[in-house]
Amino acid sequence: MVKRIAKRTVAILLSAIILAGSTGCGHSTLSENKNGNQDRPVVVNLEGGDWGYPTPFSHYARGPGLYKMTLIFDSLLERGEEGYIPWLAEDWDISEDGLTYTFTLRENVKWQDGQPMTAEDVKFSFEYFAEYPPVFSDLTVDGKHFIQSVETVDEKTVKLKVEKPLAILLGKIGSTRIIPKHIWEKVEDPQKFNTPEAVIGTGPYVLKDYIKEQGAYQFEAFKDFWGPKQRVEILQFVPVSDSILAFDNGEIDLTRITTDILSKYQSNEEYKVLRNPAFWGYRLLFNMERRTEFKDKKIRQAFAHAIDKDELVEKIAREAAIPANAGYLPVGHIWHNAHAKNYGFDIERAKQLLDGEEFSFKLLTGNSNNEVRIAELLKISLAKAGITLSITSTDFKTRDAAVKRGDYEIVLNGHGGWGRDADILRTMYLTEKTSNRSPAVGGIPGYDNDRINVLCRQQLFEIDAAKRKEIIFELQELIAEEIPQIPLYNTTGYIVFRPAAFDGWKYMFDHHGVTHNKLSYLDVRQ
Amino acid sequence: MKYVKQGMKNIKGFTLMGKTGMAVVCVVLFLGIFSDRLSVHPYNLPSGSAFEAPGPVHWLGTDDLGIDLWAQICFGARVSMIIGFGTALLAGIGGSLIGICSGYFGGLIDKIVMRVTDIIIVLPDLPTMIVLGAFFGPGIRNIIIVLALFSWTVPARIVRSKILSVKEEKYVVAAKNYGAKFWHLTIRHFLPNILPVVMVSVIRLFSKAIVAEAGLAFLGLGDPTSKSWGLILNHAVNFRGIYFTDYWKWWIVGPSAAIMLLVTAIAFICRDVEKIVNSKI
Amino acid sequence: MRKRMLAKISEYLMTLLVIITLNFFIPRLMPGDPFTFLSSDEGQVTVTYSEEQIAKYKAYYGLDKPILVQYTSYISNLLRGNIGYSIYYNDHVSTIIGKRIRWTISIVIAAIVISSLTGIVLGSLSAWNRNGVLDKGLYTLMMTLSEIPAFLIGIGFLFILAAKLGWFPLAGGMKSFANYSSFADRIMDILHHAFLPVLTLSVVRLGEFYLLARNSMISVLTKDYMRTARAKGLGKMRIIFRHGLKNAMLPIVTRVFLSLGALFGGAILVENVFHYPGVGRLMREAVMVRDYVLVQGIFLLVAITVLTMNLIADIIYRRLDPRVS
Repeated sequence: MVKRIAKRTVAILLSAIILAGSTGCGHSTLSENKNGNQDRPVVVNLEGGDWGYPTPFSHYARGPGLYKMTLIFDSLLERGEEGYIPWLAEDWDISEDGLTYTFTLRENVKWQDGQPMTAEDVKFSFEYFAEYPPVFSDLTVDGKHFIQSVETVDEKTVKLKVEKPLAILLGKIGSTRIIPKHIWEKVEDPQKFNTPEAVIGTGPYVLKDYIKEQGAYQFEAFKDFWGPKQRVEILQFVPVSDSILAFDNGEIDLTRITTDILSKYQSNEEYKVLRNPAFWGYRLLFNMERRTEFKDKKIRQAFAHAIDKDELVEKIAREAAIPANAGYLPVGHIWHNAHAKNYGFDIERAKQLLDGEEFSFKLLTGNSNNEVRIAELLKISLAKAGITLSITSTDFKTRDAAVKRGDYEIVLNGHGGWGRDADILRTMYLTEKTSNRSPAVGGIPGYDNDRINVLCRQQLFEIDAAKRKEIIFELQELIAEEIPQIPLYNTTGYIVFRPAAFDGWKYMFDHHGVTHNKLSYLDVRQ
Repeated sequence: MKYVKQGMKNIKGFTLMGKTGMAVVCVVLFLGIFSDRLSVHPYNLPSGSAFEAPGPVHWLGTDDLGIDLWAQICFGARVSMIIGFGTALLAGIGGSLIGICSGYFGGLIDKIVMRVTDIIIVLPDLPTMIVLGAFFGPGIRNIIIVLALFSWTVPARIVRSKILSVKEEKYVVAAKNYGAKFWHLTIRHFLPNILPVVMVSVIRLFSKAIVAEAGLAFLGLGDPTSKSWGLILNHAVNFRGIYFTDYWKWWIVGPSAAIMLLVTAIAFICRDVEKIVNSKI
Repeated sequence: MRKRMLAKISEYLMTLLVIITLNFFIPRLMPGDPFTFLSSDEGQVTVTYSEEQIAKYKAYYGLDKPILVQYTSYISNLLRGNIGYSIYYNDHVSTIIGKRIRWTISIVIAAIVISSLTGIVLGSLSAWNRNGVLDKGLYTLMMTLSEIPAFLIGIGFLFILAAKLGWFPLAGGMKSFANYSSFADRIMDILHHAFLPVLTLSVVRLGEFYLLARNSMISVLTKDYMRTARAKGLGKMRIIFRHGLKNAMLPIVTRVFLSLGALFGGAILVENVFHYPGVGRLMREAVMVRDYVLVQGIFLLVAITVLTMNLIADIIYRRLDPRVS
């Protein structure tokens, strides 16, 4: 049963996506024609900044560092516009019991130093990462390593056995980077390994130059890349002080812009504007251990009614955002439940729920402009419902440390990853008494709801995607009604680029940055 | 009282520039004290739509939240004044006392004080600011403490060298021989001598503190809820694409002009005071 | 004399030790640690480490040991010339700082040379025309300039000269990935990029040197030997620059060395405005991400530089001024 679903997914995805170039070269002329000039190679310049040496171990722990590394290093699967697509693995198979994953590797894949890639490299990568976790390590669930063993069946087949049959493992295994055994097997301190050998992968781009102090990178198309033809010959990340100024001066080819200057670009044929999916957002967390009042659902609902999300979107995000959902998953999420409850701005209702009582709380925020501004507006509108907020604002690290210690009453926090697998609901809302909380989301101190706990655990073990989706939908409705934390808004943001220079920009199904998407630079058509 | 009268007489001796400076400082002081009554609009609540250009309703326009900028600048004057005065007084008085002790007693105390000033000069203020902020909780008070901590060395050094020379004066030596105690000497003989130089350095510290606060706020290290001029600027400069809109014309220019006007005014006063002090010595 | 020199140097060493100790403890007293990321800048994603991973990293960097053990191993490493391996930037602190420091040093030195020379020339002119129109105009201008905060001047230049007029690049220390046709081209490019940061720093410092030069020139010009020189009918320029300056130099030279510390502070703000690849920007980032090792390294460098400059100023003062013995 499971096997059939997996097979079918592959078939659909394969038919949906034509990986040009992997079979022949006929497409190269086409892509060059599209870009106007046939003889000059396509060079794309983007906003730089130092994000570390792009190996899986020494890039910095932020998005731009990670995605530069993924240009060089491929994984078994890649994230397409709709879901995972075959990449280094042509095909895969999950056993009925959900404990064995078998991947069939693509043939004729070469490392950037000319050596062929084999199943041994894949086995080695998983074993190496178990011993030395890379910066972005995805091979754990709740902090525990889930891979039991890795075997090579033959030259092009790898079999992984996992500890538990969980629904979320394929993506985690599939997005793990594959590193060359012949280089890394000698490396005992991978963090300090930063010779030119360390940036040899199978990916479409080769690192040509990296100037740390300037924050500049230069990538060049890898001639022997196994996959789709690169549309961008040279990809450069250059230092800029104000990205919009730099874009106007032609120093970079794409930038984020604000709504206030949108009209300037929208009305001009020379530019194209895209709106990002809303996978980054702010939320308000209650500490119910500190202030037991929050255990009362009515108070939390009163908060939700007394906050004018539309005003936040209008004034702080300057319309480049959408109000967040009480059920957490944002509108653009593939499993978002549109029927979950939402709380309109209604001061009278909030007062009713509070029963005429007045409260005062401390709100902790970071010191970025927007957070301080959000806090100011929250203070103003909550005051109308009889809730007094006193705002403390500290730098990010101080705030994060306070959140980790649970040293706050209410905290405002902004982060990305809202588009990831719906399992984020579990890591965020499940109260697990035995295992330690994932520090990433910190859980909700003092909150414990049996039904939510049950559903969270259930979805993790539900391998049937359709059934799992149903559970997630129910979970969202429950969370929206309970509202243990208040999602405020999800930023969308606009990007602008000159289509004449390059127009291949695409989104990944769960991420909001087109420049982060490796497929943007390749001749992949859907 | 005597000093006040003398001070009034000195102001008459100011140049035109100095008098203008004095007037500007008085105006800013006035704005700060009566900030809530000088503006029809509140400084912390939106009173119009976002980014209204200066006009009859909002004299200096509004910011991104629709809060009146004139009201914010009036209130910011209060914050800047408090920070300026607080730091200057704390550092001035503390520094002078330390300077007097160091110069008078000499020996080990002097050595220690001199070393400490050396250390303070090379100690980076940025992280210390964050640490202290975390200890006391962020706020204007802590900014004053930190700024004072980094600026008391200036008056201390000046006072110390002054005391070193005054100590040798015949009348001081005589008084000491008659058994005058440290406090007596300080109040009767040292203070009148060091007061003029301390005045000059306190005025300097005043404007240095205002500029330092603005700089910290600009780097995102100030108190984000304090609503000072530096913070308004920080909000404005960090507003993405500000230079492509017309907003900078009132959002950046207003507070920048306020900061520049105030510090230049203080500089002119400082120059005149210095002149008078020097002419008396 | 030699004995006093030794005493002086040992005093400086004591100061250095205290500073090193403070540099070690202050960053570690800051709330937060290098491995916890719960939030990110808008539009940015970050990694989130599990508790196991954090424990692993802490052990890797030796941060799991008692703080006193960490301190002693820091000191002993320092004595062996090892200033550590950066936590966030994943490289040797000495390499990171080494790559950045030349940018900072060049703009700081350029700024100090330009501002002191211009200051001296303008100050001398002012002193010569004391109370004239030129003097009054210059004086007012310099007073105003020296009070305007560095970052405001920087933003002004960036906006007008770089963004609106397009005369200068907006950011960075040199063109990225440019193929320079000659060495001269490369130098020109670097100068082109450094122009605005240097200009900003120079303008900020100019007032100070101007006032100093003016004051010491005035006091020199009223001296007897200057009157004699004037009576001898020597040329104006000659009097100012040959006789006057020679005697007015002392406080200026001392100030040049003493103001290096302050210039480093100014460089932090200016480098942040222009995205200049110097140490100032690095320091702010290092504090933000709680990279203790790197923060220590930078503070140590700043401390040593400033202390050395103070020492040099001290020595020069003693050498040049016969009254101090």
